[in-house]
Amino acid sequence: MEIKTEQFVETAKRELKNPNSRIFLNLLPVVLSSLRELAMETFPDPDAAQEMGGIIRGEALARLPELLETFEKNASAAGAKIYWAKDSQAANEYILNLVLENQAGYITKGKSMVTEEMGLNELMIKNGIEVWETDLGEFIAQLLARPPFHIVGPAVNVPVDQIRDVFMEKIGLDKPTTDPVELGYAARRFLRDKFHEMKIGVTGVNFAVAETGTIINVENEGNIRFNKSSPKIQVSVMTIEKVIPDMKDAMHLLRLLCRNCTGQHIGSYVTMDTGPKKEDEIDGPEELHIIILDNGRSQIFQDTQTREVLRCIRCGGCLNICPVYGMIGGYPYGWAYSGPMGQLLAPLLLGLNRCHDHIWACTSCQACKVNCPAGIDHPGLLLYLRNKEVEGDSSLKAVPPAWTESLSYKVFSRIASNPMLWRLTSKLMRPVINRGAKDGKLKKGPGPLADWLKGRDFPEMPEKTFHERWSELKRS
Amino acid sequence: MKTVSLFIPCLVDLFLPDIGEATVTLLRKLGIDTIYHDGQTCCGQPAFHAGRRLETVQLAKRFVEIFETDEAIVCPSGTCVLMVKKHYPDLFADQPEWLERAKNLADRVYELSQFIVDVLGIEDVGASFEGKVAYHESCQLSRGLGVVEQPKKLIQATAGAELVPLQNASVCCGFGGHFSFNYPEISEALVKEKADHFMSSEADVLVLSEPGCYLNINGYLSRHHPGSKVMHIANFLTGSG
Repeated sequence: MEIKTEQFVETAKRELKNPNSRIFLNLLPVVLSSLRELAMETFPDPDAAQEMGGIIRGEALARLPELLETFEKNASAAGAKIYWAKDSQAANEYILNLVLENQAGYITKGKSMVTEEMGLNELMIKNGIEVWETDLGEFIAQLLARPPFHIVGPAVNVPVDQIRDVFMEKIGLDKPTTDPVELGYAARRFLRDKFHEMKIGVTGVNFAVAETGTIINVENEGNIRFNKSSPKIQVSVMTIEKVIPDMKDAMHLLRLLCRNCTGQHIGSYVTMDTGPKKEDEIDGPEELHIIILDNGRSQIFQDTQTREVLRCIRCGGCLNICPVYGMIGGYPYGWAYSGPMGQLLAPLLLGLNRCHDHIWACTSCQACKVNCPAGIDHPGLLLYLRNKEVEGDSSLKAVPPAWTESLSYKVFSRIASNPMLWRLTSKLMRPVINRGAKDGKLKKGPGPLADWLKGRDFPEMPEKTFHERWSELKRS
Repeated sequence: MKTVSLFIPCLVDLFLPDIGEATVTLLRKLGIDTIYHDGQTCCGQPAFHAGRRLETVQLAKRFVEIFETDEAIVCPSGTCVLMVKKHYPDLFADQPEWLERAKNLADRVYELSQFIVDVLGIEDVGASFEGKVAYHESCQLSRGLGVVEQPKKLIQATAGAELVPLQNASVCCGFGGHFSFNYPEISEALVKEKADHFMSSEADVLVLSEPGCYLNINGYLSRHHPGSKVMHIANFLTGSG
């Protein structure tokens, strides 16, 4: 997919006025958060359950190299072929080769953000290979040529009449209907044909269990199960941080993932694959290829601060709770990952130079941190990345801010370090700031205040600061 | 505890001194004397949130030097308290001597309502207000410091006041310091929503415990719903402002 991370501000401004997006986004704080809360309450101790998620993810990362080796050993022993892909290009080419060798003609896919990250679809299409997304939302987004709006619900903002129109235009919906069931059937008829003839199905991975070499997917539509069970060749793409120690951990994380994602106790389909079809089994793929993708994550792992980002289990809970995401939706983030998790992942994977707004468009409200089942402190990590940008850290491809901005902070801290200077500056500032004030309020102002004041008043600087009032106060 | 040291946020010092005055009035009413170190300026929070660690460290050291001998430090802002309690120790992670001093200080810094309810053990401060009150749960105070019930208890104990529900009370108002200047459109959309929920709560006043949120929400209401009332809890409890 085309990366548009640099267009954050203009896209956000446009999306703020998009009524279709607003319908879904308005539901987030009300419906989804109460569903999540109800689901979490089914744990005997919700807080402890949440904390346990963070502990499991912390352990998995602390043991990451060892767990990956164990996973490779056990998955290989079960008959899976493991391919370590250094970057997107390597992973894409591996899949392309499989398609060409097997004369597959097309591939079907389960929704996976990692293949969005890789740009797999673009490469396939460039090579004349058809790609069919089989998750209903992702299928709609594909037909409309739109990026995912939400990592869990890629087309959740698309109004039904647009779905009707694109289905009529592209997949042969024969009568104009907006009945969701009819539309569902239309997509199903179309995709069933694809499944019927398929040779290669590509999916992501929710968890890779080191102890058993098992890959686990959770979903609600059964399309991932189709992609894993009906093709000759199953390709599962996972990033290095997907590996966890054992099944017990997997079960707990699954329960947390579904509750934080959609407010369900468990998704409708959970599939666990340990190797391809065995001799005595009647279905399943003949070959199972597991691609373990790095794509810069080893570097993220090296820094113990940024490593924390790899805890993420992609539940989307942080998107659902983020006030900024709740206003602008997923498009402004310009890539596969949006909301708080995207604000951390995108800069680390693409470079701070391409994701400036990702690290700044946060009010530090901490709702994501409090809700994260993996124990990620998103706002704290964003502050860490802001500092890296300010320092011009080259390993993160940071472009340091203009010297004038840096100077202004130096001046600020110099002034704030000297009370006399602080008082003097506040005296000098007063007439400048208060110019044009009316009834104690600023309606128009200089510099950074100008945009703020378009929709809000700002108080004028009062006659006396607290400091100046104190001499009277302490005597009273 | 008869004397506390006032930690006045720079925003209060420069733009909202009434909140500082009300803090003094309220504490005195409860029999607490206040001292004010007049060397205090800014705790460094704005610089810290802008990724300026070097500049922040400089201000943090000053703060520690000024306040570290005080028995209790009270501040009418959750953000500033969180800065000192949580972020100072982070800032000094690789400076053991300063880390020790910062941690030592951290335990003695309180947000105003936290101090009154948790330390003094007082809920009824003898305040009165005739009408319905909505309370906005500021982010750094509620999620950062875990202070949610204390301000509500103070409101509920106020004679004549009826605490009414505010939809999405714990959702951010969109201030976020420089966020509101860097992304004014998103920020304004958020504060509009906050204002709308307040208007539909039919409360007579919106009470909050954070000067930043006050600036933002009051600024929006003043422009779009003139006559509606926002009060910092210190002003609410002293019937001032």
